[in-house]
Amino acid sequence: MSAVHVAGVSKIFNQGTPKQVDALVDVNLTVEPGEFVSLIGPSGCGKSTLLRLIANLLEPTTGAVTVNGKTSAQSRLDQDYGMAFQQAGLFDWRSVAKNIELPLELKGWDKEKRAARAQEMLELVKLPEFADLMPWQLSGGMQQRIAIARALAAHPPLLLMDEPFGALDEMTREYMQGELLRICAETKTTVVFVTHSIPEAVYLSNRVVVMTPRPGRITEVVNVNLGANRSEDTRAADNFFSGITAVREALRGTHADHANAGAVRGVEDR
Amino acid sequence: MNKQLRRAAYRTGMFLVSIALVAVFWELYKVVGPEKGGKLFGVAILPRSNDTAMPHLWEMLSRYAEPEMRGPHSRQIWLVVLQGAWFSFRLALVGFVIGSSIGVALAALMTRFKTMERGLLPYLVVSQTVPLIALAPLVVSWGGKLHIFGFTWPRWLSASVLGAFLAFFPIAVGTLRGLKSAPAASLELMDSYAASWKQTMFKLRFPAAIPYMVPAFKLGASGSVIGVVVAEISTGLKGGIGRLIIEYARQATGDPAKVFTAVFGAAGLGLAMAGLVTLADVLLMRNRPKETTT
Repeated sequence: MSAVHVAGVSKIFNQGTPKQVDALVDVNLTVEPGEFVSLIGPSGCGKSTLLRLIANLLEPTTGAVTVNGKTSAQSRLDQDYGMAFQQAGLFDWRSVAKNIELPLELKGWDKEKRAARAQEMLELVKLPEFADLMPWQLSGGMQQRIAIARALAAHPPLLLMDEPFGALDEMTREYMQGELLRICAETKTTVVFVTHSIPEAVYLSNRVVVMTPRPGRITEVVNVNLGANRSEDTRAADNFFSGITAVREALRGTHADHANAGAVRGVEDR
Repeated sequence: MNKQLRRAAYRTGMFLVSIALVAVFWELYKVVGPEKGGKLFGVAILPRSNDTAMPHLWEMLSRYAEPEMRGPHSRQIWLVVLQGAWFSFRLALVGFVIGSSIGVALAALMTRFKTMERGLLPYLVVSQTVPLIALAPLVVSWGGKLHIFGFTWPRWLSASVLGAFLAFFPIAVGTLRGLKSAPAASLELMDSYAASWKQTMFKLRFPAAIPYMVPAFKLGASGSVIGVVVAEISTGLKGGIGRLIIEYARQATGDPAKVFTAVFGAAGLGLAMAGLVTLADVLLMRNRPKETTT
């Protein structure tokens, strides 16, 4: 059973109106359990839309999304996935531990169980002594680690991430990438990861899904062969660079199309 | 904590300075202002500075220690004003509680149903253009006709209802803005947890609304005081500070300092109500980042 199965999915916003946007057209994607898959592409290519369709925050116009063999609606109700966004989005009025407990609270867990799990998650993200601090007392990278702890608190088999490190500085970002790989390996979590950074996608992923805009679709899936044990040395390895080149070439085809489409449209507008 | 304390001391100091400035200006005008009022560029706007229109501040203050009326058995005026203020404070508090319940309920309803917001908000705005004086006799007569389950409408409740009428509007509007201030990403997060509407309301929207609700509740608190004072005057309810103001104003020619004792009482009442809200603010916001506290 695959972790995520997207079959013939299209998403059209404002259908039948002048503002109609073909966000996604005929997308097929399968993610196996334990896999790390990145979605990459220029803005407007529908990568965030695809993530939201998997999360059942949006309904597909056509096609079907299956998560862990269930409909995406059912898996959302069952909290089969955790989610993290570009902004950590911690609640200001809750302590760090209480933020991590939020999904458990919504599920109706009792207090002791929640507190124990929150501590377990804090240890997982290596911030065990921060339980009683308030979110605004933490740095951006720490906040994002808490957001990941929150997303994984209910031990979901799937983690959906929308540019989670996009707001972090480069050093913190690379550290967080290493941490994310370690956490996913420890918890055996499947990840679907939206990014617009090529090195980030290559470093993290088993497969990089390259997408193009207007209409949003998948143009190429690049397999990355960096093996299971990635470290800081991996960033200097030859196959890391060949992965980056492969993704960049796949994207460059995209950019050429993109530029042409823009030019033609510009003429039409006048 | 030390920093907060220092800031509180600074604000208290500035408050006292501003009061002192007004007092100095008052006495200064008494010295330089025209005795019988005056014209500025042909318009009569300069107030009279004689002792009947503008009694000296020390006369107002010393009036507190004198008896209310001539004759035996008359209580000292500070006690009368204090009792009147306490009476009105209780009415205003009831009005504030009714008004904030209605205001918050309306805001929650308008957040839940978009059509409600579009349909209801114009009426709320219009409701505030109705003069309170016109409304007061209506509320009294409707209330007087109300008898349900052995409940009879006490006269004072009309004043509270009018206080609620002024209080609910800023609270409804402020709370509505606050409930809508929850970031889209946080709402999406709650959706991803399949949180119910109620859970999203109480775990996200209301906590996010508090920085918006506090100033709205402050406005509502002073609104409830104004409503009650005006209602006391226009419905002829005895025992409150509003009644004292109107009574003392009638005696202003013979005893000009007297009415000011009641006016200060009403001002103190408003401050006490706003103080209650500030106290709640400090308790609710103690763990929030400092940028959002005002």
